[in-house]
Parts: sequence; C-alpha cells; structure tokens
Amino acid sequence: MSQVAVAPPVQLSSKTTEYLASSSRYRDVDKILDRRGPWTDEQFQGGQAAKDFLRQQCKILVIGAGGLGCEILQNLALTGFHNIHVIDMDTIDISNLNRQFLFRETDVGGSKANVAAAFVMQRVPGVKVTPYFGKIQDHPASFYGSFDIIIAGLDSIPARRWINATLVEIAEQDENVTPLIDGGTEGFRGQARVILPAVSSCYECSIDTIAPPTAYPICTIANTPRLPEHCIEWASVLEWPKVFKDKKLDTDDPDHIEWLYQRASTRANEFKIEGVTWALTQGVVKNIIPAIASTNAIIAASCCNEAFKLATLAAPSLDNYMMYSGNESLYAYTFEYEKRADCPVCGGESIEVQAEKDWTLETLLEKLEDRQDLQIKRPSLAYESGAPLFFQAPPQLHEATKPNLAKKLSELFSEDASVVITDPNLPFQVTVSIKLV
Amino acid sequence: MTHRTPPASPSNHRPVKMARMSDGMDLTDATTGMEAIPSYRPDAKARRYDRQLRLWASAGQRSLEAARVLLIGCDATGCQALKNLVLPGIAHFTILSPRSVEAQDVATNFFLHPDTIGRNIAEEAVKLLKELNPAVEGSAVVKDPAQLLQSDPDFFSAYTLIIASNVEPQLEMDLAEILWKASEKVGGPDVPLICIRNSGFIGRIEVQLREHCVSDTHPEQTHTLRVDQPFPELEKAARSLDFDSMDSMEHSHIPWVVILARAVSIWREQHGGQLPNSDDDAERAAFKDMIKSWRHKADEENFDEALRSSYQGFTKSELFEDEAVVTVSENSKNLHILLHALKQYTSQAPHLPPISPTLPDMHSSTTSYVALQNLYRAQFNSDFARFKQIVAETLGRIGLPADAIPADEIESFARNSGGVQVIKGRALKESKEMRGLVAEVYTNVDEQFVDEEKPIHLGLHLALLAAERFHLVTGRWPGSPEADDLAEENRQVEEMALSLLQSVVPGAEGGPETSEAIAEVVRGGFSTLPTTAAFLGGIVAQEAIKLVTNQYMPLDNTVIIDLVKSSMEKYKF
Ligand SMILES: [Zn+2]
Repeated sequence: MSQVAVAPPVQLSSKTTEYLASSSRYRDVDKILDRRGPWTDEQFQGGQAAKDFLRQQCKILVIGAGGLGCEILQNLALTGFHNIHVIDMDTIDISNLNRQFLFRETDVGGSKANVAAAFVMQRVPGVKVTPYFGKIQDHPASFYGSFDIIIAGLDSIPARRWINATLVEIAEQDENVTPLIDGGTEGFRGQARVILPAVSSCYECSIDTIAPPTAYPICTIANTPRLPEHCIEWASVLEWPKVFKDKKLDTDDPDHIEWLYQRASTRANEFKIEGVTWALTQGVVKNIIPAIASTNAIIAASCCNEAFKLATLAAPSLDNYMMYSGNESLYAYTFEYEKRADCPVCGGESIEVQAEKDWTLETLLEKLEDRQDLQIKRPSLAYESGAPLFFQAPPQLHEATKPNLAKKLSELFSEDASVVITDPNLPFQVTVSIKLV
Repeated sequence: MTHRTPPASPSNHRPVKMARMSDGMDLTDATTGMEAIPSYRPDAKARRYDRQLRLWASAGQRSLEAARVLLIGCDATGCQALKNLVLPGIAHFTILSPRSVEAQDVATNFFLHPDTIGRNIAEEAVKLLKELNPAVEGSAVVKDPAQLLQSDPDFFSAYTLIIASNVEPQLEMDLAEILWKASEKVGGPDVPLICIRNSGFIGRIEVQLREHCVSDTHPEQTHTLRVDQPFPELEKAARSLDFDSMDSMEHSHIPWVVILARAVSIWREQHGGQLPNSDDDAERAAFKDMIKSWRHKADEENFDEALRSSYQGFTKSELFEDEAVVTVSENSKNLHILLHALKQYTSQAPHLPPISPTLPDMHSSTTSYVALQNLYRAQFNSDFARFKQIVAETLGRIGLPADAIPADEIESFARNSGGVQVIKGRALKESKEMRGLVAEVYTNVDEQFVDEEKPIHLGLHLALLAAERFHLVTGRWPGSPEADDLAEENRQVEEMALSLLQSVVPGAEGGPETSEAIAEVVRGGFSTLPTTAAFLGGIVAQEAIKLVTNQYMPLDNTVIIDLVKSSMEKYKF
C-alpha cells in the first residue's frame, strides 16, 4: 500500500483560471440547491450552507476504481465534491477498457487508483482526488471513520463484508455514523443501496440473498459430464492439483488457462460434448461476470445521486435499496431492506442452529458451511470460553483438534451451547447458539 | 409502483480454488506436446471486449460495429449516452450542433474542458469522446439542426439510430415526424429515435420506432423442448426404451425429457390424441401418477425432475402471435425477409418454428444426454434445411441472389426463432398526445389506487408535457434562470397541465400528486444535474445497444424517472 503524491503542480491556463473564478459555472446544480422541492426534507437549508458543505468540507471516499469507480469519480467531481479519496489494489488490464473509461491502452499495468485520480484532476480542474494503491484492510478503522460519506463500487463480497462490519463497529463504538453507499452490477442489471451503519439494515443483513456460486456436483464432474462447463471444472478442480500438486492455479496466467482449455477439450472430445472454448474456460475458472459501461453508468449515477442528497439534503435519500434491470425492457424496484435481528454484524440476537445430538462435529461443520446467511468456506470453531473445538490453522492446533470432527455433539456439549465461528470469509467472529434436539 | 419479486443480488463470486498437496511438475513440461487442439486464444480486440461479448456475443458485436449514431443536442446527458456507446465499439458517431461551449456546459459535461470555452461544442466533445476507443470514428457537424432538417432531411436517415437530448420541443416533433414518414414506405429507412428530457432530479426517455424485431430476447428460460408434442424421432426413442429391464444405474439416469415425452405419447394414445387437461386436477394427477408408477426407487433424481417439469406435458407449445411481414422487396431488411420466411414455414404442420438445438442440463448419464442432444440437433438440422429452402425461394422471388443474407445470419435466426419478438411502435406525436393509456389511467385513477399512494410518474409525465407546451408558447423553459417569479411559472404550468389533461379526459382533476410533480419539475428549471445526466445516459445507451443488436427486449415507448425517490415507471403511450 502506498499513497502516491500524484499531480505535479499543473499550470492552469488563463481560461481555466477564469472558469474556476466564475460563479455562474455551477448554475445548473445551484438551481436544485437554491430552491426547495415539494419532497425536500425540513432540515434542508439550501443556498450557501449546502454549497459550502458540498464544495469545501465534505470528505468522501470511493472504494474501487474499476467499472463503477471510474463512473463514480467522474460524477462526484462534476457534482461539486472537491475532496475525493479513492482506494483500489488493482492494476489496469486490457479487458477493463470496454468500460473503465478513465484508462487508455498505455495505462495497462498501472495502478487504477493513481491513474483514475490523475485523470479526473486533469479533466475537472479544481477537484482534489487522493489515491491509495492498496488493500482496504491495510487502513485502520480510524481512517474510514474520518470520511463523511463512503461509496463502494466493489466486485468482491469479502471486501464489502469487511468495510460494512468496520463501519458498523465505528458507529456502535464511537456513535459516528458514516453512510455507506454500495453499488453492484452484472450484465444489464444492478443495484444501489444506502446503508446507515447501525441505523438501517447493513450489507450483512442481506447476505443470504446472494446466490451461492454455481456448484457442479463432484460426481457429475468426475463421472457423468454433460456440459462443456463440467469438462472445464474437471480440468481445474481434479486434474490441475493431480498434475501440479502444490502449484497454485493462477487464473490470470494465460498459459494456465491454455492448459485447462486443452485438458477440458480433450475430455469433451472423449465424451462427445461440444462447446469448450478458450473464452468459456476462462469464464468458468475466473467466474467472470459480464460487465458493460451503460449499466455501470446507471448504478454509479444512482450511488452519486444519493451521496449528493446526503451531503446537501436537497432531496430525501434512498430508503434503502434500488435494483435495476434492463434485461427485458427496463424496470427498477425500490424498497426498504429490513434489518435482520440475528444479523451477526448489526443485530442483537445470535444465529440459532438446530442440531441432532448424534451428529458428528464434522456434520455440524458441513451444515454451517451450507448456510446462506453465513457464507463461510473454511470455518474454525471454538467454545464460547475460547477453548478450541476445531481449528483449520495453525498446523499444530489443527492436528490437535482434528479428532473432534469424528466425535458426536453429545460428547462435546452436555447441553445447548454457543459456538464461536471464525472464517477467512468473515471479517468478524460469529457466535451461533446450538440447540440440541 | 406495483410490487414485484424481491431482488437477488447480482454479484456472485466463487471462492478462488487452490491446488493442494506438494511437489508438482513444471507447467512447461506438462504442456509440451499436448497442444493438439487449436487454441483460438483471444486477440487484443477480443480481450478488450471480453466482458460484453459474454452478453451479446460476436453477432451482437458485429451489429454494433456497423452502427452509426447521431447525437442532436450536445449536452451532458447526450454525451454520457455516447460515451457508453463509443466504449463498446460502435462504428461511428456524429454530433450535430452549431453552439459554442459555455462555462455551465463544462461544469456538467465530462467531455468538455474549460480551455475550450468559446469554441464549437460538437467539435470539442467529439475530440474527447473519440479518445475512449481508437476503433471508433467520430465527427462534428457544425450546423443548425432545424435548418438542416429543412434543407437536407436525408442527412438524418443515413444513421442507424438518432439520440435527441433535450432539444427544443418543436425540433423534436419535426424530427420525429420526418423519420416516421420516411419509415412509412416499404423498404424505407426505419431509424429509431431516442428522445431525452431532464429537469433536475426528473427525467424522461421516449423511443420512436415503427417496427423492431428482437431476434434473441435472452429469456431466463431458454429451452422450448416441446415435450407436449415430441417430434417423431424423440417419440420413437422414448417409446423404445424398456424401463423395466434397466439396471438401477441406467434407470436413474434416463433424462427427464425422455420420461416426459414417453408419458405424453402414451397418454395421447389412450385419450384420442388429447393432452392432459391442465385445468383438470384429476387429469393432472393421473398424468403424474403414470410417471410415478415407472419409478424403481423413491429417490431417483431424474424422476423428480420429470415430475417438477410435468406441466410441460400439458402446456401446448404455441406459435407467438404477431403481425406478419406481408410484403418484402429487394429493399427489405434481412430480418424482414427472415420473418416473412418464418411465417411461411409455420404455415405448415406442426405450425411451429424450427426447434431449438440446445438442451438444458439435466440429471442423466453422459451417453443418454449426448444421445438426446443429438436427437434435438438432428431435428433442428432437418427443420433448418426446410427453412433455408424457403429463404432461398423468397430471395429468388424478390430478385435477390441466394447469398444476399449470410448463411450464419440465417442459422442464428433459425436457432432462436422460437423466441423472436416483433414490436410495433407508435409515432412520437401520437404518444405525446396522450390518447390511450393516459386517458384510461386518469379516468380510473381513484378506483385503481384506493389504498395506495397514487403514482407520481404520470404526474411527472404530465408536468414535462405541460413544460414543453410552455416552451412552445414562451420560447423558454419554466424555472429557467430568467424566471424571477417561480410561483407564477408554477401556476402557469399547472394550468397548461390541466388543460392538456382535460382535452383527453373531460372534467379530470390533476390532484395533489400532479401539483407536486409540477413543482419538482419547475424547481429543476430544466437544468442538468450531472448524476441525472449519467443515469439517463446509461439507460439510453442500454436501449440503443438493444435496438442496434436486435437482442434483448427494448423499451417501448416511454420511461419516467424520478431520482428524488429513485424510482421509475414505463408506459406504452
Ligand atoms: Zn446487519
């Protein structure tokens, strides 16, 4: 992670200097800020107060400088936000260029955050964009607490869970509510939502609506392949580890994809299955989500519209979820997502799990992995006291606790008990109460 | 707004799989000597467009790369729409405007720099938009659109699609009328027109098109398997199986399509050729009981699938209703010729389009799945041969060479012909006159929304129409900076809205929703919020892509967007 001092002092032309000094340039946005609408909030002061906050005081963070991030930075700069920060750990790839419009072919390989920030400052003089090239987890909670508004345009669920949990914790401990505006797209569809941490429902409240990844049963992959995808999964899940042992599959390495493609094609030929292509192979193993500029434009605009409304009170903000679909004609659905009482991040109640006394601990572990409202992949379990039940790592603890997997729950718990789960997918611990039946 | 199914979040990521265990061999060693299969590794262009090719495939991309788009009204919204079309790679765009760049243009439009203030706006925006994609050609025409419409109307019909962003109401109507008239003639240009209007948080998009064909709607359910009337080879295969002599492995891997086709065939034999009556509980149960009686064990997944899909056995496959493309000529579009041929094709038994050659995945063994897939493919090939014959005859009849339509275009049309949709549009003038739906809704508005909040979107539409009338009368927009008395302008627009409404529904009252809608529209003063511009520009581009690629159902014909409440509603006016 590094914060780069971009933008060497730019020599502004006399025209630009004149433009920056002219009060009429914000004529369009000012109409909305100088006038009250029929649905405008009581607290709206309008006029200078709103303009000053927007254009001088408000400090806003954009998480992600990808498809949504590029659009968000553009919109914020034009709307009048002057103190914008952006964080992204990614570098620019050629497949970004069909939508991430702040990047050019010559930028491939560069930091998305750095290039995007420099571009916006060049195009919209007077705006300050501070880039951070690195992971969101590398910054302390206090960093995130210092912003007035945070907009996330992320494609990663673990990163969203992390920033959501971090902001809810800040809200609960310091009573400092930093609104989180979250956007996501897939193909012609997308959604935008406003999260007021600890006040409204949070990202984790709706984690169970995220469709589980397409999982092909291992027996289909191994024995009865029918689709080209089955052959590709066979090559990546079964063949790769068998041939390469501990060498990790790098889905960004075209040679690795080539190898999978060759193996999958050979298998498909054997079974007379048609349709294995290079692009499909890459799509299956990287789980590629189709993405286009226009959908990102719609969702990013909605996110920035909400940021503008929160910063100026010019209109009530979204309460709290909007989904858009352009797949069949077009429609939007706006509704309030309810808080979940047993949300592990913002709810007060713990998640309850019904378990049979003669289940083994391994069975319980599998049941927990299957739960849509937890979305975990390699959980470790501990008693509420902290004593380990089953740990995935470190190796010594893993070895020591592994025998517990075969034990029956009735041997491990004398009565109903609470179990603490930690998992690489979870940025927090979850306590679940086990009801023995 | 009516309630619809709650959302499933689109983002759906599979955890990265990692290889386990120790000491593997080197990748180069492992790969050497096994590249017997041609790789077709994507080139730079395919990599650039990878994320969109997964939506509209190479056929859609070819259409995009042939599209020429004209923008009239070089404002932030129009340029945002163009940005979203230049990025995926249209062939060409033109911006038509004689205006000079002003400070407030720069402040709202990302594709203008302050240094260009005073220069021609079309030329400057073209420069910055072209940077987005070196494969796209862009040009500026520094002329007055209204004059050009008089002097050279053919200029406009040379484009694939036209976007009119916040142009003056008179120009918008004149342009729409000229395009509509041009498309009247058979074989004449049918150029879709997308009109944008925005004021502060409020926006509207209108689409004028005479006729549009969607050759691939990308439905959620892609497979029409026609198990209700299995084709002869499928029926023969389904009837020839001896379920009882199969071992349990084989029996539990018969594809459900085969099970259902067999059930349908037997049922028909026993019921004088009739399908089970879907309204008759007893018949439906008897049909399912027949399937259940073939089970060997209670946990056979293939039988579960067959029972879940049993409705397909008593739902008759039917031909979509459409208005036929009656006359075709040498000037007709390929799509029209294909639709014409399809109509002839379906006039013969079984009165259905060519069968789809693809199968969904289902519980079965590899061999029985592949065998079933081959049956469907063979049937498609025979259907396709007949269809191709009809297309060739049609081409011959209208004096076109046999290869006038590329073979792969005929094939992809035939593959998707079960899902072909034809839209008949309406003239912009007609939809703006608010006959039809508006009258109906306003007449019944009190009965329709007894307990619910009345919809704001119709009020917003009325407000925008009244504001357009205001502009026709005064030559400026209500709420514009010259307006010193906002309340008075508001009152005038209310009056115009009421007279518009009463011209359609005598005696109708606007109600408080309409007053609020008018107040919000006048507040905006037809100014551009950059966020509203980006939102509308995104929707316009999605619709343009759908129209150009003939994929996905497009908007027909109006959507009203309210970014105060983040909601929208569409209408066919
Ligand atoms: Zn929550």
